[in-house]
Amino acid sequence: MTRLSHLLASAALAAAVPSAQAAELPAGIKQAGALKLTVNSTYAPMEYRDPATGELVGLDIDLANELAKRLGVKIVWSETPFAGLIPSLQTERADFIIAGISDRASRRETADFVDYLGTGPQFFVMADNAAKEASDLCGKTVGTTRSTSFPVEIEKWSRANCEPAGKAAIQYVPGENSIDVRNQLKQGRIDAAVQGSETLPYAQAQEPGKYRVVGEPFAKGYQGIMFRKDDVALREVVTETLTAMIADGAYKAVLDKWGLGANAVAQPMLNAAPQ
Amino acid sequence: MKPAPALAEGFPDLSGMRIAREPHWFRWLSAALIILVLAAIVRAFAGGQIEWSYVSRFLTAKVILEGIVNTMVMALLAMALGIFLGIVVAIMRLSPNPVLKTVAAGYTWLFRGTPLILQLLLWFNLALVFPTIGIPGLWSARAVDVMTPFLAALLGLGINQGAYTSEVMRAGMLSVDIGQYEAAQAIGMGRLRALRRIVLPQAMRVVIPPLGNEFISMVKATSLASVIQYPELLHNAENIYYANSRVIELLIVAGLWYLLVVSILTPLQMLLERRFARGTLRLAR
Repeated sequence: MTRLSHLLASAALAAAVPSAQAAELPAGIKQAGALKLTVNSTYAPMEYRDPATGELVGLDIDLANELAKRLGVKIVWSETPFAGLIPSLQTERADFIIAGISDRASRRETADFVDYLGTGPQFFVMADNAAKEASDLCGKTVGTTRSTSFPVEIEKWSRANCEPAGKAAIQYVPGENSIDVRNQLKQGRIDAAVQGSETLPYAQAQEPGKYRVVGEPFAKGYQGIMFRKDDVALREVVTETLTAMIADGAYKAVLDKWGLGANAVAQPMLNAAPQ
Repeated sequence: MKPAPALAEGFPDLSGMRIAREPHWFRWLSAALIILVLAAIVRAFAGGQIEWSYVSRFLTAKVILEGIVNTMVMALLAMALGIFLGIVVAIMRLSPNPVLKTVAAGYTWLFRGTPLILQLLLWFNLALVFPTIGIPGLWSARAVDVMTPFLAALLGLGINQGAYTSEVMRAGMLSVDIGQYEAAQAIGMGRLRALRRIVLPQAMRVVIPPLGNEFISMVKATSLASVIQYPELLHNAENIYYANSRVIELLIVAGLWYLLVVSILTPLQMLLERRFARGTLRLAR
């Protein structure tokens, strides 16, 4: 209900202010009346197919829908494997990417990020595992999705925390996506796993009592909306709209709906993640 | 010199006419069009969002070379397993024993009837069904320690290949004249010995071309094992572009290697064909 009232309030606000923003949308998008957006729908609760309805749902989907509504356009969704997201942006299959992708320095060579959500890689284990804190995972096998930035994060963390303490390094084991990684964990192929902290509450709710988080997220980062470097106009209009959504509470309402209110940012930030 | 024979009344004399060249304008037009399209494609590749320096740098990178070795090892072993299973199942299929026949038909039905990638995922996640495997009282192990990505890929690819190869082998055996088999029996050979000494060697000539075809498929099908983390060529190329975002560049690197391998395999298949066709070549000469 709170969400509905937020939406109503924001709709009223949007109606009150003449749509100066929509005027700044690139001509191509305005003409088509639609944004082309691409996601990888294996990353609940950021974006996934609702098992009951098959509909695309998630935090990113809600945010994008709200953005599109305020810009006065529809969204044409498409899907790709995670590694296909950046090429989708480059080949203009997508106008921008809002798909639980982390802002990383290495990715900024090909795109600009408007950071909109706090995140961090998080260790987790099966509930009956002996590990109490992250340092207990030194020398153990840890799996994560190989197409993400997490393998590098794990290696970095291991070098900074295991080796100085005289412990063996973490052995990284690749996985194909979060579901595959959790399957490997269940089979005992790996001792621990890593996922973005924003996805763990959902995974734990799906299989109650199965997993246990170990320690805090071990690096601080942001999820970013990814834009082509030359697409400044679209980046600015989306940043402006997102700023308005944060100011009037619509942004917070979406985050709260998905139980991720704690991951909110105070304002959209351009290429702001530390690594 | 005899004068030219007089022409029949009513026919014009064409002997002095020049033979006009056919214009073939459509031939010229289509050739020009095709060359134009090819040039446009080359130009697009040359000027597209491709950093060719990455292609040349990673073409001989260590991980890529390891990937190609792993690809070839897996293709050879899986094909060997596939051919072995194929021969056994084809013999079972042609056996008079109804149990053997039905089991063989069921095997082909099951493994040809489901997608290869599904079978690979099943083998890889087998531990969800059987946490431990072994022989009761003698030996047991955790399924995940046994079912490594290597073994899961080998079983998935090999057993699937066996289902297809069994049909190729059966066709080969059926292509050998029944008289050959009868003659072998007449001089006292048992069924299996007749198959081994008389039928299979002659069937080889027929099955080599389709098997070569299947092997080339197999080289590329190993790339499906990337999803169960077997470090073959595509898997390793993906790992590089996951890190540096040079997707097209690394896909071109992998593509060039696959093309090179297949280009080497094609003449090898010809040599093999010639070897098994010795008998008939002599006749044809």
